[in-house]
Amino acid sequence: MTRLHPFTLLALAAALVALAWLLPAPWGAAGTLAVAAVLALFSGAGLTPGASPGSTGTGMSPGWRPGLVVLRTAVVTAAPFWLFLFILHDVPTTVALGLRITTMVASVVWLVAVLAPARLVEAMVAAGWRAGTAYLFAATLSAVPVLKARAQRIVEAQRCRGLSPRGGLGPRVRALRALALPLILSALHEVDERALALESRGLVPGARRTPLAPPPDRGAERAVRWALVALCVAALVWRLA
Amino acid sequence: MSVRLLVLVPVAAAISLALSAVVDAVALPLFLDTTGTILATALAGPGVGIATGVVTSAVNTLRNPTFWPFVVVQIIVALYAWAAARAGLFRSFRTAIPAGLGLGVIASVTSTPISYLVFGCTTTGGIALTTALGRALGLSPLGACFFGSFVSDFGDKAVTFALVTSVLHALPRRTAARFPWALRAMGAA
Repeated sequence: MTRLHPFTLLALAAALVALAWLLPAPWGAAGTLAVAAVLALFSGAGLTPGASPGSTGTGMSPGWRPGLVVLRTAVVTAAPFWLFLFILHDVPTTVALGLRITTMVASVVWLVAVLAPARLVEAMVAAGWRAGTAYLFAATLSAVPVLKARAQRIVEAQRCRGLSPRGGLGPRVRALRALALPLILSALHEVDERALALESRGLVPGARRTPLAPPPDRGAERAVRWALVALCVAALVWRLA
Repeated sequence: MSVRLLVLVPVAAAISLALSAVVDAVALPLFLDTTGTILATALAGPGVGIATGVVTSAVNTLRNPTFWPFVVVQIIVALYAWAAARAGLFRSFRTAIPAGLGLGVIASVTSTPISYLVFGCTTTGGIALTTALGRALGLSPLGACFFGSFVSDFGDKAVTFALVTSVLHALPRRTAARFPWALRAMGAA
């Protein structure tokens, strides 16, 4: 499954979410959820145990079947929604919305598990997208863990200096400022360095990049993507009629 | 878009997402997930702000898929922040905090229909619980949903505007001057 073209994986996930909301509940959403669950269960095909191709990973560990871990992640993520739906709504509404939300969660968790960001960037560049657009997503994905680790270091450093993030609202807001300001300012100071690094590597406005290893985009996969679009349009027309 | 502004987008988006670690440390009921969008808009205008909002939502979606439909809110936040920057409302806390409270109202009005129609008001635990409180107080389902969104957004956006104002004034003048909108947003140009 990880060998499928990134656009095909994206189209599958998007179509499942769209159909979950377009088809009548609860059976339509139950059907899309069943498909999403099967995809999640078989997402491990071709994966090495203990490794995930996705950016955020799904906590795979040796000894677990990767597909089961993906499914478990989806169930754990969706469970709180069922609880809150049950508190706020009657049973039919809870079931209808719960199935739709779970389809959305399972589809995205599956997508994260099978789609490597680097392959997506290669596919986007090969499809003629500007390198800058592809850079936005890849750079954000890599910057988030770096900044989160820096935020943690700032929290520890400020605690060493006697900052207490406890007490009433006033001290907490002051502590928030003392923690957030160094993080944001340090990140902004990196903008020039990063811009210089990109310019020196030829990423300037309007420049075309050559993908190093573009994922193969077979005709059958393109046909599947168009079929998914047609299916969603047909479902929309059917519901509106 | 110049390379510097292109680089600002992922940096600002990552700021929005990394601030959750800071919020956890001070245990305040805040999201601050629009900080990067507002900051990028105040520094570089609406195009960069909207791009930051879209990228923030897209990357956040990988963590929690329910974030994607709220990309509309990020776009509206960027447009509102642009209007605030044009008016120089980031010049002091006295102007920024009321502007943030205004954004809180607009953001909750925008997010309520999405939260109500798509998720039945169960997007996050905090909002679901305040919605349940609204129902217990006798509000209609839609009214309770607005109550939940309003409680979470009102203070959050005011704090976010105050934080962005602090950042703009803490930036060295030479650094701020490299971004096209920063000085105007601070009322210094």
